[in-house]
Amino acid sequence: MSSASASAPVLRPALQEIVGALTWRRAAVAALLALGVAALLNPVFSVSFWVLLGRMMFIAALLLITFAAAGTWHPRRIPPWLAQVLAVVIAAPIATVLAYLPSVDGNVIELLRHEGRVMGFVFITASVLFIAPLLALGALYRERDAQARAAQLGFALERSTLEKEALDTRLKLLQAQIEPHFLFNTLANVQALVESGSPQAAPVLKSLIAYLRAAMPRLHAGASTLGDEIALVRSYLELMRMRMPDRLAFAIDVPADIAARAFLPMSVLTLVENAVRHGIDPGENGGRIDISARHEADGSIRVIVADSGAGMSPAAVPGTGLTNLESRLRGFFGAAGRLELHEARPHGLSAEIVVPASPAAGAQTATPGARP
Amino acid sequence: MTAATALIADDEPLLRERLRAHLALLWPELEIVAEARNGREAIELFETHLPRIAFLDVHMPGLNGIDAARAIARRAELVFVTAHEHYAVQAFEHGEIDYVVKPFEEARLADSVTRLKSRLAAPQPLPSDFEAVLDRLAGELKARGGPEGRKYLQWIRASVASSVRLIPVEQIAFLRSDEKYTLVVWEGGEALIRTPIRELAEELDPDTFAQIHRSVIVNLRQVAQVDRGFNDTAEVRLKNRREVLPVSRSFLHVFRQM
Repeated sequence: MSSASASAPVLRPALQEIVGALTWRRAAVAALLALGVAALLNPVFSVSFWVLLGRMMFIAALLLITFAAAGTWHPRRIPPWLAQVLAVVIAAPIATVLAYLPSVDGNVIELLRHEGRVMGFVFITASVLFIAPLLALGALYRERDAQARAAQLGFALERSTLEKEALDTRLKLLQAQIEPHFLFNTLANVQALVESGSPQAAPVLKSLIAYLRAAMPRLHAGASTLGDEIALVRSYLELMRMRMPDRLAFAIDVPADIAARAFLPMSVLTLVENAVRHGIDPGENGGRIDISARHEADGSIRVIVADSGAGMSPAAVPGTGLTNLESRLRGFFGAAGRLELHEARPHGLSAEIVVPASPAAGAQTATPGARP
Repeated sequence: MTAATALIADDEPLLRERLRAHLALLWPELEIVAEARNGREAIELFETHLPRIAFLDVHMPGLNGIDAARAIARRAELVFVTAHEHYAVQAFEHGEIDYVVKPFEEARLADSVTRLKSRLAAPQPLPSDFEAVLDRLAGELKARGGPEGRKYLQWIRASVASSVRLIPVEQIAFLRSDEKYTLVVWEGGEALIRTPIRELAEELDPDTFAQIHRSVIVNLRQVAQVDRGFNDTAEVRLKNRREVLPVSRSFLHVFRQM
């Protein structure tokens, strides 16, 4: 398991990763510390300061590369940070020996014979062993800090994306909901009723007005209850039944206590329009739409729009209406608000809105019957 | 000259009745020999009565007005009826095919009647671009109906409790083969389906779904990170989920170019 690659969801060649870890900043810190240690140890060393500094620089560079290389190794038994620190600790004496090799022409035995060199080796190894792990831990701390910041930025970005989506959805909703095709066909029917002096004309016109009023884009959608929404759905279905009396049957069964609850405007209507357009209208024989609402065992409420149409093809692209509804439900009811699609029996689609037991904090309590 | 006869096809009874009433006023001699409720009935009734004029609503269930027009073709004078002037105008602009718009306007309908009378008196051949105009109209109608079904799977049917759920594919986190079944894991739960993972791999949109293991397909949009492991394998972690999915060597290329 690795957390070192957490910020990068990619697989890169190890070499690239090592080079990536060798930042200018890290190199500068290592060089500065090498300079400081060389200056501190200078009084006890017999060799010139420049030779000492050269050795320290060499050791620092080697340890930095070790640290970076160990970062690409994703061990399974120990945490990766420990692996990196251990690598540096093990590399410290080896690097020191390597730093001394040029002065003894590559002969390690020669190195051990000279007391001054052994002392120098011990001094340098001790100071490196003291400083290097601390430095490694510091670097790792900074790395984690940077990762946390990156994650935070990621969250902020995701949140602003969500906010933008919510705004887009709202804007789309504000654009006219009324389809010209629906409007003119309905008006043609109303005209037919009026011209033939049918007593049906007045109630149908009333339904059309109720529908148009609700479907008009509104900037400030006022408080609305499920009952209001169902009244709108009824208007719409009455209009459609006038237009296709031999092809559409419908029934609405919503208990009064559920109807009184605050509800997302234009939500059930979206499902019913969808049921008419894709379930009832395409078939020569039409079908029926049943709208119901019930309390669930867990206290949530389920509003069901079931049609007896052909159902949904597995490759049918969900309409923007349905996609929007899903995000609008979340915006209004919180994460517990959702849309479920079930197959109806023997055929057709059952679209179900599930909302939490108590309305989300943002939902206002509604005054029944009041609509702007 | 034989008597003027006509067929009216519209799925909305009030509108059939209305057109019949208007025509009765404007052209009392015209005999409406049949009324059809959809394209299929229109074709059947046309074959039975062979009227000289057919009023065809463009939008009808089953076979629509355009399908009926293709079947009737040059055997009658055709008048399309539509509530959507926009696409009618687009489609008929250059064609010689007549149309009337709902709600009916007396004057407009009277124009059509005048044209029909002169055509019946001196039959003219249908415009040569007849088929092209119908194609154009069919195209407009289709565009209005929204995007068509794409070639990739958009929903997965799965039995959950006692009902059959339709799960939108974009909500799916991953699919895992489980012997005879495939486990579907999505935002709202888990379900077993009978479709083998091999088949699903072919039906899902490759831009969104990738097979990362012999038995695993992942939704790339839900991947949070990919951790490299030993021996050219890797592990995938998902957003908001605890599961860790294996990536086998032969599918590692999926993440190479990300």
